[in-house]
Amino acid sequence: MFKHLLKLIWNKKKQNFLLISEILFSFMVIFAVFTFGIYCWDNYKQPMGMEYENVLAVNFTNPVKTTNADSLRLFYETVKRNLKSLPEVDEVSYASVNIPFSESTINNSMDINGKNIRQINEFSGEDSYPGVVNLKMAEGRWYNKQDGLPGTRNMVINRALKEKAFGDVPVVGKFLGDPAKPSERFKIIGVIENIKFNGDYQSPALAIYKRMDTAGYKWVSNMLIKVRPSADAAFESRLYKTLANSLNNANVEIEHLANKRISINKMTLVPMIILSIVAGFLIINVALGLFGVLWYNINKRRGEIGLRRALGATGNGVSSQIVWEAMILATFSMIIGSFFAVQFPLLNVFDLPAMVYIIALLASVLFIYALVLVCSLYPGRQAAAIYPAVALHEE
Amino acid sequence: MIRLQNIEKVYRTSTIETLALNSINLEVAKGEFLSIMGPSGCGKSTLLNIIGLLDAPTRGDISIGEQKTGHLGDRELAAFRNKKLGFIFQSYHLINDLQVVDNVELPLLYRSMSAKERKQLATEALEKVGLSNRINHFPTQLSGGQRQRVAIARAIVGRPEIILADEPTGNLDSAMGNEIMEILMDLNRNEGTTIVMVTHDENMAHKTHRLVRLFDGSQVS
Repeated sequence: MFKHLLKLIWNKKKQNFLLISEILFSFMVIFAVFTFGIYCWDNYKQPMGMEYENVLAVNFTNPVKTTNADSLRLFYETVKRNLKSLPEVDEVSYASVNIPFSESTINNSMDINGKNIRQINEFSGEDSYPGVVNLKMAEGRWYNKQDGLPGTRNMVINRALKEKAFGDVPVVGKFLGDPAKPSERFKIIGVIENIKFNGDYQSPALAIYKRMDTAGYKWVSNMLIKVRPSADAAFESRLYKTLANSLNNANVEIEHLANKRISINKMTLVPMIILSIVAGFLIINVALGLFGVLWYNINKRRGEIGLRRALGATGNGVSSQIVWEAMILATFSMIIGSFFAVQFPLLNVFDLPAMVYIIALLASVLFIYALVLVCSLYPGRQAAAIYPAVALHEE
Repeated sequence: MIRLQNIEKVYRTSTIETLALNSINLEVAKGEFLSIMGPSGCGKSTLLNIIGLLDAPTRGDISIGEQKTGHLGDRELAAFRNKKLGFIFQSYHLINDLQVVDNVELPLLYRSMSAKERKQLATEALEKVGLSNRINHFPTQLSGGQRQRVAIARAIVGRPEIILADEPTGNLDSAMGNEIMEILMDLNRNEGTTIVMVTHDENMAHKTHRLVRLFDGSQVS
């Protein structure tokens, strides 16, 4: 029977072309939605790699006009000391503009282990940085004062960069940068666990962490402050006053890192929700279209259905024939769709893990089969209810 | 072979009740070639559908062979039709998207049989009706007479004991009609197949063993 149905469908390929195209199109849309969704879910399951609760992100305009490094250091250390004197403040670190959950990025490329690696995020923080956001070391150590000694060129990287550049081997003591350019070479002193600094739904990107030195203070405009859980709005008011007094004539903005996380998560969630709604409407349209086409086909094939009943088909047999035909058509569509879908992992189009595409592909196949099954069950039952004596006399 | 007792068929709508068949008693012997005649709307096709178990009578009993059919369910009726009955229709009812051989194989699809066996039986049936050179054609590539011969091949491929033909020559010219009639008579004569044929054509009807006339749902001769 299966071969018979295949032959019947193949011989009607022109009539079935539109239906195959419709299923193919919805399969590709579902594949895109599922890929995006699975990618986000996969990232969501990964640990954040840092703590964002009770951390305040302060952005300020640099108030100091001097370019003297010692004066700058003295100024910012005084500001930091003033802040740490507040009983609710546990730790403070100046940081580069691309603090976690900000929309700012600083990207670089580097020669590491003979490979030119692009899109490396470059972060800067002080020795106290891990204490503020509770970074976890995977290997080696974070910076300390000794790393500020002249001639010291040390670097901390994240696990993602380590695995991309070196694989799964210990890397402390190894070097980053082109060996031919000693001024751009750094010794790895530590590896931190990945941080999802772009929010819960984004993958932890490649990253290097630089020690913020006196030269860095010239451009500094951000700090992270770890506060105690008891810190309330009154404290924030006092903090603002302290900062305003310390940073003369500077514009100061204080935000909770937890709120910044929610904001940046929305940047992923909103398009995902919009895409899901659009896909939902599309699926409803496809389902109605499929239902309509099957219904139309059955009405056109009443004579054939009556004939099959006369020749020995049961009502259930006719019903399952309709369902199987729809399933075979869906299979044709999905074979074509899968050809296009597998190009994404093969060509590494969006640099997503191949497993994300494979799971999305399987989920899309199951979804389309379920959709086609649901849409063909009722027309199938209607076909089974066709009275053969009536159908055979209609033509 | 076929026994109809007090068959009555009433079609009801919310406003009207139509008596299509009224107290039909009919016996068809094994190997008999029976024709049914009557004016349009007299119930010929309804009677054939009831004999073919495609429609159920409002009242009365039908027996085919030793089998009383009144209590059979959908599955048993389908299997019974498949094994015991062959159908030929005025408008052929071939599936235009299938080749001739696949059309002929159709009844065998509902039996447990290998594809090879099906193809062999279909080819033999087509040989019997003189269409072995057309097995890979599509119905639209054939003439009316050839299409009806394909329909006959489809009716006999499962070697049924009874063939029910509903105006098999109705859409054909007299030469083609005679050709089809010859095939049916051969089947009846050589294979012993019982045939019940509805026709409008007196000449064709007189070639059969017995003629039953209907008028307004009642048997008049």
